[in-house]
Amino acid sequence: MKKIIYYILPFFALIACTEDFTNTPAVGALSDQALQNEQGVDLLLTGAYSALDGIVNNNGGNGFAVSPDNWWFDVLSDDAHKGSTDGDQQELFLMETYAFTPSNPYILGKWEALYGGVNRANAVISVIEGIEDRDFTEKLAEARFLRGYFNFELQKIYGNPAFISAENYANTEFNQPNPGPIWTEIEADQQFAVENLPETQPEPGRPTSWTAKAFLGKTYLFQKKWAEAFAILQDVINNGPYGLNEEFVANFTAGGENSQESVFAIQFAADDGLSFNGNVGSTLNFPNALGWCCGFYVPTQDLVDAFQTGPDGLPLLDNYSNNHVESDYGIASDEPFTPETGPLDPRLDYTVGRRGIEYNGYGINPGSEWVRNTPADISGSYLPKKNVYHAGEEVNMGTADWGQQSPGINYNVMRFSDVLLMAAEAAVELEDLDTALGYVNMIRNRAKNMTYVQAEDGSPAANYIIEPYDSFSSPEMALKAVRFEKRLELAMEGHRYFDLGRWDIAVPVLTDYVNNETETIPNFGPKTSPFQQYMTIMPIPTTAIDLSGGILTQNPGY
Amino acid sequence: MDMKITTNHIGFSPGKNRYLHIGVIIFSLFLFFGPAETQAFNSFEDMQQTISGRVTDQNGLPLPAVNIYVKGTSIGTQTDFDGNYSLDAAPGQTLIYSFIGYATLEIVVGDQEELDVVLVEDASKLDEVIVMGYTTQTRADVTGSVSSVDVSEATKAPIVNAAEALQGRVTGVTVMSDGQPGSSPVVRIRGFGTSNNNNPLYIIDGVQTDDPSILNSLNANDIEQMNVLKDGAAAIYGARASNGVVIITTKGGGYNMQGPTVAVDSYYGVARASNLPDLLNAQQHGEMIFQSLRNDGADVTHAQYGNGPNPVVPDMLDVPADVTVPAGGTNWLEEIFRDAPTYSASVSLQNGNEFGKYLMSVNYLKREGIQLETGYQRGTTRLNSEFKIREKLKIGEHINISFSNTRSGNQINNALRSSPLLPARDDNGNYTGTYTAAAGLGNAENPVAVLNRSSDNFNKSFRVFGDVYAALEVLEHFNVKTSISADIQYYNGRFFTALNPNHSEPRSTNTLTEQDAQNYQWVWTNTVNYGNNFGEHSINAVAGIEALSQSGKGKGFSRNGYLFEDPDFYLLSNGSGAPIVSYAYDGTSTLYSVFGTANYNYFGKYYLTATVRRDKSSRFLGENQSDVFPSFSAGWVISEENFFPKDGYVNRLKLKASWGALGNQTLPADNPTINISNLNNQFANYAFNGGGTATTGAILSQVGNPNLRWETSITKNIGMNLGMFDDRLDATLEFYEITTEDLITRDNSLISTTAIDAQAPLVNLGSIKNTGFDFSLGYQNRTTSEFTYGANLNISHYKNEVTELISEFQTGNTGFRGGAITRTSVGQPLSYFYGKEVLGIFTSEAEVSAAADQGFATPADGVGRFQYADVDNNGVINDDDRTNIGNPHPDFTYGLNLTAGYKGFDVSAFFQGSQGNDIYNYQKVFTDFPLFFDGNRSTRVLDSYSVDNPNATLPGLSATIRNSETNPNSYFVEDGSYLRLKNLQIGYNFAETVVERLMVQDLRIYVQGTNLFTITGYDGLDPEIGSFDSLTLGVDGNVAGGGLYQAYPVSRIFTLGVNIKI
Repeated sequence: MKKIIYYILPFFALIACTEDFTNTPAVGALSDQALQNEQGVDLLLTGAYSALDGIVNNNGGNGFAVSPDNWWFDVLSDDAHKGSTDGDQQELFLMETYAFTPSNPYILGKWEALYGGVNRANAVISVIEGIEDRDFTEKLAEARFLRGYFNFELQKIYGNPAFISAENYANTEFNQPNPGPIWTEIEADQQFAVENLPETQPEPGRPTSWTAKAFLGKTYLFQKKWAEAFAILQDVINNGPYGLNEEFVANFTAGGENSQESVFAIQFAADDGLSFNGNVGSTLNFPNALGWCCGFYVPTQDLVDAFQTGPDGLPLLDNYSNNHVESDYGIASDEPFTPETGPLDPRLDYTVGRRGIEYNGYGINPGSEWVRNTPADISGSYLPKKNVYHAGEEVNMGTADWGQQSPGINYNVMRFSDVLLMAAEAAVELEDLDTALGYVNMIRNRAKNMTYVQAEDGSPAANYIIEPYDSFSSPEMALKAVRFEKRLELAMEGHRYFDLGRWDIAVPVLTDYVNNETETIPNFGPKTSPFQQYMTIMPIPTTAIDLSGGILTQNPGY
Repeated sequence: MDMKITTNHIGFSPGKNRYLHIGVIIFSLFLFFGPAETQAFNSFEDMQQTISGRVTDQNGLPLPAVNIYVKGTSIGTQTDFDGNYSLDAAPGQTLIYSFIGYATLEIVVGDQEELDVVLVEDASKLDEVIVMGYTTQTRADVTGSVSSVDVSEATKAPIVNAAEALQGRVTGVTVMSDGQPGSSPVVRIRGFGTSNNNNPLYIIDGVQTDDPSILNSLNANDIEQMNVLKDGAAAIYGARASNGVVIITTKGGGYNMQGPTVAVDSYYGVARASNLPDLLNAQQHGEMIFQSLRNDGADVTHAQYGNGPNPVVPDMLDVPADVTVPAGGTNWLEEIFRDAPTYSASVSLQNGNEFGKYLMSVNYLKREGIQLETGYQRGTTRLNSEFKIREKLKIGEHINISFSNTRSGNQINNALRSSPLLPARDDNGNYTGTYTAAAGLGNAENPVAVLNRSSDNFNKSFRVFGDVYAALEVLEHFNVKTSISADIQYYNGRFFTALNPNHSEPRSTNTLTEQDAQNYQWVWTNTVNYGNNFGEHSINAVAGIEALSQSGKGKGFSRNGYLFEDPDFYLLSNGSGAPIVSYAYDGTSTLYSVFGTANYNYFGKYYLTATVRRDKSSRFLGENQSDVFPSFSAGWVISEENFFPKDGYVNRLKLKASWGALGNQTLPADNPTINISNLNNQFANYAFNGGGTATTGAILSQVGNPNLRWETSITKNIGMNLGMFDDRLDATLEFYEITTEDLITRDNSLISTTAIDAQAPLVNLGSIKNTGFDFSLGYQNRTTSEFTYGANLNISHYKNEVTELISEFQTGNTGFRGGAITRTSVGQPLSYFYGKEVLGIFTSEAEVSAAADQGFATPADGVGRFQYADVDNNGVINDDDRTNIGNPHPDFTYGLNLTAGYKGFDVSAFFQGSQGNDIYNYQKVFTDFPLFFDGNRSTRVLDSYSVDNPNATLPGLSATIRNSETNPNSYFVEDGSYLRLKNLQIGYNFAETVVERLMVQDLRIYVQGTNLFTITGYDGLDPEIGSFDSLTLGVDGNVAGGGLYQAYPVSRIFTLGVNIKI
């Protein structure tokens, strides 16, 4: 009998160790409890800011669709072509030619990136609500500013997004209906930010109460609440810390990051490893030259034409497309070409890379050699400039994970010139033409007085003529002038498509654009379907509806 | 049939019940035995005499531990080490001699006092002892559903992974193997019982794992037995068993061998790709491009084919390099495939005396991949030994050490879409690329260059697994055993991504990535075994306690900017960019279990088995941590009944039934119940100053589910075994139903697209039911003539139905272009294909106008395009018109093995196939549509719609995708049925005279062909495809985002081999 005990003993030894044995820790993980403190709030808040670059975990859509600079919405507008060959990123070709369906991965990619941001902000709001003995009002205001930003983007793009509250987040109830616009919720977040953010921040990447006011103004503007918009934007203009830079181009260079003109910027950064904080979503948007890739996001002839001026230095509001700026489309780099000699707005050559003009410090643009498409494709012969880092700006030259560009150039979600133009627009709508004229001319005078792009001999690279308006002859003319100025000043900055939509002019403008563009790019028209009114808001992604179990409903028209 | 002895640890003599209460204290199971009483047959008592003798084998060697008992009584004994025995019996009584691996012998006692007996090695399958986990049973005694692989047949084929031996060889088991050398096949037992982890549990000697890659570390020549537990019989493994259990035991030498035997097995062969799809040649490619542009109304011009009325294949390409166009163009599939050598050599050595036995083996295997620079090589060594210390203690071990290197790579997708104008190298010997987009050569990276540039990459794995054990006969009938097993794996990978200068999307920097992982697992098992015989009652019971711990730790580093692209320079310290920690993890999970099983049989006619196991898992919380898994089974050998005709064709008929509860707690997460946030430099940091050092942030990375509990499967099985013509014909038929509740999977609907960007929680999703049958039929000719032959057929069928879901439906992987292809909903099988139904191709504007609105700008635009079915009948085609368009589950799968022998020759042929399953051929998105316009296409596009070809299979050619034709639709769904000649082998055994002259025992040479032909209507590379995940079955193709699954075709292998025994 005693012997038996020996043999049985090991069994009891095993029984004794079971309680601890079946409790295993999650090594390296932060539990919810570990984040219920100041450090946790900071960590999660930084995580919410990190979603501003569009790069979130587990995004099932297109990886290039996520960039906060909304470059591919310019492709849908009259400002840009997709670039490269038609078959490259064919899903975007289908967007550009208005042949897209709700399952297009660009539509899903952007949607998921923005909801990732909304809920990272919700995570901060939720954790703050769980900590009772400390005041986190400023942090909460930052989180709500961010949620307002992401929701504004969703509202602007998708028209009828679902609103996910902090309570929804806490209860893991992410499938919410999308019965209509969520402007009320956006305004509430922005109002809270206006009231609770400080006037200055130690780090330029964080919003101040002035930032919040400018964004609230934009929210009013999008709802056509002209008086509210004008009041708060004028407050920002008159009392805020912002002003125009002397140099237009400073908004797109390393040296000009976070200048007085920057109201709110996505803080992109490059390093020599993998630049996780670079603008990975705009990786493709570099010329096909200098070791770069991939020739995407190229300006249209229509946009270039818009930069023509009359002898009076004013834009050709009504007939800019009657005449085309000289284009090297279909002309090889070794064939002769003379660039446009007629009068041009000097901002053109800080916005568009044209053959024969100096390109961001890399020398004279040789034309088709640097362009990545063939004559059968529809992308024309121009190159983007604002999103391409300038020669020598190593600090912005990052590397993405497949060995391509991950640029570190900040993207200005809102520049002060945008604030001026929004205020001008509201002023025109309120029939205050003088104020509008003043704001528009501030912008035109800056352009007039800046340093122009130079030829190799130091002279201006083209026949630049730009002058302020003397007056606006009528509210109609004023509105046209303000809208035109916005296109010129903010071209290739991701705003145009949404402006066309909210101005209710997308169908006529884009129809004219397709016709105009086809005059120089003959394949463009035949490959493009008619633009339809319902396309001004994007469809709810098919995968979003599928995964919601049918709770989300599709936008009209799709 | 007579009573069989169920394990070799059991003695035979009347029970001594006084020890039973100890067992009762520890394990309630032992209660089963309490009432058992000894029954003696008294009538012979007065005539008894003592009989003694010696038991030997055919070679005259003594057999120790042979069980001998008097039939119908509880009187019995065992032989000693010299094979001697003595016991009391009366004339007229029958003595039964049984020993594992030998035919049981019955001798009627006459008046002799000395009875020497020779036992013959047993050829009968019924007496084969099969390892059931913690116990063993003879086949005749099994009441659960257990299939065994004919290992000697199965390992004839040149297999790399032992799981390949299961394919088509056992009923109820589906094996899908990828052709990539070193990859692990997907093994499914009786359908898809779960949506989470469908891997069966593998038991290799004492090592338990659900990691199928362990089978890559095992030398198939070492396998002695491979058994599959498919029903409640698996319940002894409780919470890990719901996907079935594969039990593998390895050879271990034998006691009392005459001397060492050495076996040498070696083969050499060549593998090549088969069934490659036809792609367009250069002229056809040019015509395809021109016709597409013409159809689009665009300018018909191309950088290489010119702008004349017809495309002209140039002699030299118009690119910034000297590139001569090969005559007819390049067939890129031929460029990436090669004839690949395959080689294996094994040597094993075994011996044993009365105190110990051992086996030692070594194997080297090299399987070059049929794609350039891919391949697998492995060295393994094994040592199994066991020692008897005094009479009652056995101590032994199994140890398996393997080292392998996998060079993986799959460039089929690039090969399919590379331009046929490009050769692999230019006239100066440099790799070509697509140069510039303007060159019109597409943007597929040169697949030959990619494969060659990755030739110095490796995935090295060093793995040691095995166990040590001690078994002691504490008292008569009581054995205790303790064993500790371990599985230790060290993985080390290196990947260099070189610059690709001629590619039209060149990399700006090169990158070295290094990855390592260490996985540890140990299991400590303690069992008590009780076996006894009470007259015609026989009992065998095991109870035990087991603790298991597994942990994994690993990391990945990468660095950019290497000055030299030379493998001698590939160290992380030589990069010039900032080092990047790609990932790091460290996790542990544990399981603690108590279990018992008891087998009872009466008179060799009636069998009962009861099993119970309680598991406690670290993966769950509170009450969900533990559960109890019972199972019961019963058998009735009708042919042993008196009423059963003894002289009919049927010599054996057995009915059996079982019921059991099984669990599954294997999850892709160690702590799935809690929310986990992480610091994350890729996703969570932010540079608040627009540059410089980014501020550290945290994000939620996993949403926890505190209510998570494991899956439970209830299995019911009824079946029969039939033996006819003296067991020459053997048939088994089993019907089963498996209901799996609380299916675990990630709930992508909960963490949907409007959610936080964390991984979706694992949830108990719903229930699934699999019903089916397994049928096998074998015929072996046993005549002594020189001609022998045999056939084995098995057929398996299952029907899979989702019976309950927490949401209306679940969507499969959404990473495909056009969204998810599969959907799962109640009343349907798991993961059916979901998309639009293609009715045909519009051939006139009138047809377009009459049909539902598909969004064409004009009716003319619709001519030549797919017509989709208006499923919701609302006159508009949109996402609501998607429907069930196919089922990835087969009607049945089957295998047929034919063998024949004449004199020294032997032939075996093995066919295997699947019938009635659909495959979603996602590769056609790339090969049949202009996703990459300048790339190549399948010759199927020659049958595209045009006015002259209105009955085409493909819509009209275009430079771009029209009418959403690459989105999920029924064009891509194909019948995936196939029949494959998996293996054909012809061998010759040299005659004894030759063999003796060569001083060897046996010498056999053989030639064989593997995958010689496949009959299938499937258009893809290979109808044997793996699954991306359990909600995305049957999709053949490249998944964008979230991983890559792409078929690597199986290879046709010709081998020449030799088996030598010394």
